[in-house]
Amino acid sequence: MCNFSGKLIAWLDHELPENEAADVERHVKGCVECGSSVHEYEEAGNLLDAYCEAVMASKSKRKHVPWTLVAAGAAVTAAVAGLLLAFLPVLRQQRVPIEQLPAHSAAVVPPPAAVVKVRVGPMKKSQQRHDDTPVHDSARASARNPERNSRQSEEANWMATGQNIQIAIPADAVFPPGVVPEGVNFIADLSIAADGSPERLHLRP
Amino acid sequence: MSGNSVLLALPLSRLATGESETTTLYRELRKPLLRYLVCLGLSMDEAQDVVQDAFLGLHRHVSGGGSQENIRGWLFRVAHNQARNRQTSYDRRFSAPLDPEIDSLLDEATPERFVLEKEKFRRMAKAIGSLTDCERECLLLRAGGFRYREIGEVLDIPTSTVGDTVDRAIKKLAEKCNV
Repeated sequence: MCNFSGKLIAWLDHELPENEAADVERHVKGCVECGSSVHEYEEAGNLLDAYCEAVMASKSKRKHVPWTLVAAGAAVTAAVAGLLLAFLPVLRQQRVPIEQLPAHSAAVVPPPAAVVKVRVGPMKKSQQRHDDTPVHDSARASARNPERNSRQSEEANWMATGQNIQIAIPADAVFPPGVVPEGVNFIADLSIAADGSPERLHLRP
Repeated sequence: MSGNSVLLALPLSRLATGESETTTLYRELRKPLLRYLVCLGLSMDEAQDVVQDAFLGLHRHVSGGGSQENIRGWLFRVAHNQARNRQTSYDRRFSAPLDPEIDSLLDEATPERFVLEKEKFRRMAKAIGSLTDCERECLLLRAGGFRYREIGEVLDIPTSTVGDTVDRAIKKLAEKCNV
């Protein structure tokens, strides 16, 4: 083995003092064995570089998959927010359960990719009685029992006093087929403040 | 104001450029740092966590009046130590075969080139796996453009040891890869 073989890599890396580097350079020009070794070491370094780049690129490539899901999640959130903005003024004005909204109400919704099923909290029995009672009967009842009338009025305002609302969005209508298991929904919980604005909006799977 | 007023040399220009300097550092060093950590065996998620923590540490370091010499070495040392703390996944992942990833990288290659490159990468993966931790770290830092002295600072070993380790490691790679 050549005496300079232990200095070749340091020479390649420019880590030798000037005088030593000059000696090695002169020797490599005249020594076939060392010239060949230098070539091998350079090739090994280049291959290591290429390998590292390949590993880095490969892992970066695989990293992209979750971001598509994140983007889809953001789209769902935006769709829910659009739905809420479209539905809430109608709900507040008409004060009817959302199931009873006319079909054309959906036309004001911005382009949701999802079929939206809206479910409100279960209506109390007294509330149902109030809605079913003809106006003149209700007036008579209120004359007989003003206290009960007051309670019914409070219940009639349930939509504007913090009643929880849930909006279910089928996930398979938002995500491509096969990405999300069948039957999975996203649920948006919210309540309505006294001034009619949405509050405590929370999106969950 | 009187004519005897004294001009105060406030380091406003430095404050004004502080953010852009940090941004420049992040832009320049993020990728090499990620590459080092990923090649050490961390997943991309882990590597990104470590890089983020390292830059957060750098911000604290500079804010606390720490030395601003050799920031690159400082960052790599901090990241290296954090990667070491994740030793379990580090060892597990590095020993895992990388062939599937290599396959995906070579999708667009011609069949001949595909076979050749795949074989080269397979040998390189095997050769890297046969190195000691220190040899591997020295080589990866060298591949990142570090001088031996800087590698010694990152790994906390003498420069002469770095020289010997790099020499030994490159010779192992050349022998095992038959380049």
